[in-house]
Amino acid sequence: MEHEKQGFVSKYIFSFDHKMIGKQYFTLAMSMGFIGGILAVLIRLQLGFPSQPWPFLENLFPVGMASGIMTPEFYVSLFTMHGTIMVFFLLSLLPVSGFGNFLIPLQIGARDMAFPFLNMLSFWTVVPGAIIIIISFFVEGGAAASGWTAYPPLSAIRSAIPGSDAGQTLWLVGMIFFVASFTMGGLNFVVTILNLRTKGLRMMRMPLTTWAQFVVGILGLLSFPALAAGALLLTFDRSLGTSFFLPAGIFIGDTLMPHEGGTPLLWQHLFWFLGHPEVYIIMLPAMGFTSDILATFCRRPIFGYRSMVYAIMAIGTLSFLVWGHHMFVSGMSPFLGSLFVVTTLAIAIPSAVKAFNWLFTIARARIQFTSASLFGLGVVSLFVTGGLTGIFLGTNAVDIQLHDTYFVVGHFHFIMAGAGLFGAFGAVYYWYPKMFGRMLSERLGKIHFWITFVAYYAVFFPMHYLGVSGMMRRIYDPNVYEYLQPLQPVNLFITISAFVLFAGQLIFIYNYFASMRTGAPATANPWNAAGLEWSTPPHPGHGNWEGEIPPAHRWPYDYSEPGKKRDFTPQWEA
Amino acid sequence: MADEPKGSRGSLQGIAMAVVIWAIVVLSSLYYVRYGVPELASDRGYLDSLYYVILGITGAAYILYQLALGYVIYRYRGDRPGAESSYWHESHKLELTWTIGTAAIMIPIVFTGLIYWDRVKGPAPEDAVTVMAVGAQFQWDFHYPGADGEFGRFDPTLYAIDNQIGLDETDPAAADDWVLTNQLVIPVNRPTRILMRSKDVQHAIFLPNFRVKQDLVPGMTTEVWFTPVKTGSYEVACAELCGLGHYRMRAFLEVMEEADYRQWLSDNAPAAVADAADPAPEAPSASAE
Repeated sequence: MEHEKQGFVSKYIFSFDHKMIGKQYFTLAMSMGFIGGILAVLIRLQLGFPSQPWPFLENLFPVGMASGIMTPEFYVSLFTMHGTIMVFFLLSLLPVSGFGNFLIPLQIGARDMAFPFLNMLSFWTVVPGAIIIIISFFVEGGAAASGWTAYPPLSAIRSAIPGSDAGQTLWLVGMIFFVASFTMGGLNFVVTILNLRTKGLRMMRMPLTTWAQFVVGILGLLSFPALAAGALLLTFDRSLGTSFFLPAGIFIGDTLMPHEGGTPLLWQHLFWFLGHPEVYIIMLPAMGFTSDILATFCRRPIFGYRSMVYAIMAIGTLSFLVWGHHMFVSGMSPFLGSLFVVTTLAIAIPSAVKAFNWLFTIARARIQFTSASLFGLGVVSLFVTGGLTGIFLGTNAVDIQLHDTYFVVGHFHFIMAGAGLFGAFGAVYYWYPKMFGRMLSERLGKIHFWITFVAYYAVFFPMHYLGVSGMMRRIYDPNVYEYLQPLQPVNLFITISAFVLFAGQLIFIYNYFASMRTGAPATANPWNAAGLEWSTPPHPGHGNWEGEIPPAHRWPYDYSEPGKKRDFTPQWEA
Repeated sequence: MADEPKGSRGSLQGIAMAVVIWAIVVLSSLYYVRYGVPELASDRGYLDSLYYVILGITGAAYILYQLALGYVIYRYRGDRPGAESSYWHESHKLELTWTIGTAAIMIPIVFTGLIYWDRVKGPAPEDAVTVMAVGAQFQWDFHYPGADGEFGRFDPTLYAIDNQIGLDETDPAAADDWVLTNQLVIPVNRPTRILMRSKDVQHAIFLPNFRVKQDLVPGMTTEVWFTPVKTGSYEVACAELCGLGHYRMRAFLEVMEEADYRQWLSDNAPAAVADAADPAPEAPSASAE
């Protein structure tokens, strides 16, 4: 198949090449993640040193930090936007849109995604969404300030908090762009995987990364429309005077609101119907990356491939039946709460399958310690830590005390954010040679890993102590409460660790961009990996394979097969 | 044997990884026991027991798994003498073991949790002291029904500086009603039932010492009940983001001996004294427009 010669615009901007689109997503996601990280640093600054003046910050944030002291409304905007940016624009864009686009055709032996134009369109739909989200910091009243969950009436009534004015409008518009983009992407994933697999690549021969992306595509298609519907209805409530989420009798700022007939719980159902599958949209690709990376660097087949596939499916299916565990104390029917306990705790079973299969992949291995494999091992550790704390929260009777405390913040930063992020880092270290034809610096990669791994535990594990001790989420100054005052040393420790964690990421950003020019040239298969993507040239062009697409003769995990000369047999070799 | 990625077999990384994971497990667990749940002042100790049971199970799983992970990383690092990896990658017996094992551990947790949930969510006893918590940005008002045990109706059009809860004075049931702002006073060892509603956005009442948390949802009346078992003054927090003053939406809960409670009532709300002496037989009802 011939591809036309490309000019600058068609190669780097409106590219149809899935690899270039993937890289565009990387750049966007990393930029957004950098901003999200700065927001996290500011959040921790306030919690570590409550209401302490930092005069130099006034120059950067003349309103939010007038005379250098953070205002409560700015603090609320900070964590709202931190959550929004990290969940959607980093943790969804990087592993799913970024790696999904980059890897699916390479791993299944296709020249491109099924709908290249839709793919380009989906990227250029999310860009305005990201820009709108960033711009919202600079409008009157500041960025949205109702949490990343945007619960009405706080998010619906403009006078409820300064950020609920223009900032919330832009948030909703930005989210609608995001959903549109993500839905196009999901459709493309599913169609591509179902139709464009190379000869011999049966579904049960696909790498677990592609399996995860397949299930994620379906999850995105089914769940994101609920958020789009919710965001649209909320926009109507805000701008057209409808009352989907607003009951009668709301009294804010000495004014009785004219709304009647709606209920805020409807929003929660719509939001979490997306929100929980979203968690697995973030998690499943990380699980896939980890499985592929561990197999390669343990020089061993992934243990229990079949049950890994079934676990991905089971987790994907269950993710649609558990959204109510976010609403145990919301006023939802207690009976409904009980049903959600059963479905939620059922997820422990496929999760345990994952955890033990990884452990048994590492056992009896010959582990090569690269930056990628270190991050892969990090995922296993974080996933187990975060998964276990989920059992407290999924048990509604125990959740009563822990709900909306820092226990929850610690929990999801391990399981979703942590495992998701470590998986993405591992994937970047692993597939970077295929992305840019050069190697990342392993030295910097290892320094990055060690800082990140230790600092990550130092930041997020003590949050469980805070939560158990009763510290609520989203509070600007915990010292208002007497019973929380003794926890200030813990908050200070977390803050200092968070600064270290953030600084460590600068090493990664430098390594990523500098290695594009200065990295050692990569060979076609620098890790001696068995997956089909490594059969492409060192820096594959548009169309991926120069000649025929190789057929798949086997699964991608044939490492250390007895009786073979080499310790791996590539998927494309008979 | 195929070429190795440069520097990837250094034993330092594998040993360091194992040591760091072990150190994290030990330190995180040792520090965990230093932070306990706030002092218990209600009859919901069974929730704490379940918390500790889950802590025991998950704590053991956490420690064992991470120790094992550190061990296999150390044991199977690539540069050990005679390193070879095994092609063995399937064992139905093992996989069944951990699938069924996990289920076997989870099932009792699920059922115990559900039984306790039912106990928490069951109907409040007849003799419960009933109060209506009214949440607003950023203040708690506690509306007591008075001697008749019935809440006077409220009307959102009546919200005013001197009528925070919008009580309709023309309703006969409102005559003996009274309101405390940011303070809730209840007797010890008698069930307390808190009905709640919000004037503006969502809030959540959080009584850390009583293992109580419940959202206040505009347009709905939600409720919770518990029995305080210890006298004293406790903090009441808002646990659902409600605006820029969310962090300072704080109140106090005073739990008094029955006699002190009556004394306090006759000093502060003479009209309501009969309530304490003779608990209202009927469940109070809230009415909203």
